[in-house]
Amino acid sequence: MLDLVTPFQLPFMLRPLVLLLVLAVAAGTVGTVVNLRRLEFASDGLTHAVFPGLVVGFIVAGAAGVLPGALVAAVVAALILVVVARRTGTETGVAIVLTACFSLGVVLVSLRSEWAGQMESFFFGSLLTVTDAQLGISVAIVALAVAAVVVTWRWQVLRAFDEHAARVARVPVRVTDVVANVAIALVVVAASAAVGTLLVLAVLIVPAAASRALTRRVVPGAIVATGIAAVASWLGMSLAFAASSAGVQASPSSIVALTMLAAYLVALAGGALRDGAIARRATA
Amino acid sequence: MLSGVTFAVEPGEAVALVGPNGAGKSTLLDGLLGLVPHDAERFDVPTGPGAIGMLPQSTTTDAAFPISLEQVVMQGRTARLGLRWPGRADREAVAAALDTVRLAAHRKARFGDLSGGQQRRGLLARAIAGEPALLLLDEPFNGLDASSRQSLLDAIERLKAAGVALVVTTHDLELARAVCERTLLIDREQIAFDVTGCVLTLEQVRKTFEHHAIEIDGHTLATAEHHAAEHGHEHDTHREHGARDDVDPRAADRR
Repeated sequence: MLDLVTPFQLPFMLRPLVLLLVLAVAAGTVGTVVNLRRLEFASDGLTHAVFPGLVVGFIVAGAAGVLPGALVAAVVAALILVVVARRTGTETGVAIVLTACFSLGVVLVSLRSEWAGQMESFFFGSLLTVTDAQLGISVAIVALAVAAVVVTWRWQVLRAFDEHAARVARVPVRVTDVVANVAIALVVVAASAAVGTLLVLAVLIVPAAASRALTRRVVPGAIVATGIAAVASWLGMSLAFAASSAGVQASPSSIVALTMLAAYLVALAGGALRDGAIARRATA
Repeated sequence: MLSGVTFAVEPGEAVALVGPNGAGKSTLLDGLLGLVPHDAERFDVPTGPGAIGMLPQSTTTDAAFPISLEQVVMQGRTARLGLRWPGRADREAVAAALDTVRLAAHRKARFGDLSGGQQRRGLLARAIAGEPALLLLDEPFNGLDASSRQSLLDAIERLKAAGVALVVTTHDLELARAVCERTLLIDREQIAFDVTGCVLTLEQVRKTFEHHAIEIDGHTLATAEHHAAEHGHEHDTHREHGARDDVDPRAADRR
């Protein structure tokens, strides 16, 4: 039987769990905006835009420079993405930003062979080495992102549903877009050092998509997405601990990401079953 | 570009905005909303949050968007609410707007599950929910079935009775005659603005629509755009057939 409690009496297990539970709230709020606005690819672009920032920050100020570097890179990239999306209205701009930033990061990393290890932690993070200080900063940044999205919530939903109506209603559409993109960037920055870009993307995209299959309204959808992210994180961390106890060394963050994907498949199946039941009741 | 336009709309009055495709009808509406720049010498529209409501010609909303009809109508309160969440007065305005378009029974339905006509009426309710002094309806009758059309006509009459000023763009001259006291006829510039019956004469309509005016069902003068919208034909085919020759003078005089 999977032990859901005792592993988290260990501080190195508890800290990442707390971070993931805070990220679950971001999955419900920021992730729902990503889902409604179809910003999944832009989010992917932002996770890659952070990469050169991480590296430059590390070059300039060592480990202490990683977070500020990532923060600057992410906010700059978020603003660029808003402008690019306005100008072109396509995903070409996002793809160019993504590849440009990622190539730059790889070039910077390859300048010194001892930085190559950074690549792996960039993708998979280092969940089990999160410190209290890192946890505090990450939670503060995620809270800022969540607050920005919650305050502008009704504008975000109207903007996603019908841009023209948003303009007629005098919604500052550009401000709304900047808030959404910067909020995504903040979540990416807050989490990528600890959980890796792969899991950040999974957190921003998968729970909201899973919730979309199960719910028919925006706010309940956001709450369900938070729940899915929290449960999947808890289960994933417990699984990772059980696996490591059994001698299987796997990246905990990729196990958590896989747990979220499993939750997504379950939600899809659940949604399909429910829709089928509704259809049968309608015809019966 | 659209120039030389002078018109006024009184409270409780509907003005039809008529002209061929590309005449500048939607541009004029966007200008009234302040969404496109203009250099009008005199420009006097109601100001303040929610003072102008708008039913756009086409809305490309995501059918799978997780939102109820009621929530879409509540969007009409956004200009008044800013970032605040809705209160009791907002919910009452939404309920009243849904009653006006006769959709109260469907308020909990997902917006994307409604029929096209119901969605149009829902978007009209959204425009009404802001309690506007001026309401702009861009081709409100396009693609509506008979019952939705009648609901919309009734809703327009109720709004006029409540003192709302309306501007209604339409290709359907019969409907312009039915609900609009005055008509503004434009084609890149103003052709005429007067009482509907005086504006929509054969001569004026023929001049404005030139190659667009056609006869339908042997008795109704309509415009090719309206015909295309209603019957799904490309409007170019009418051009090729020399639609102008089809105009029946007796039909034009019938009001």
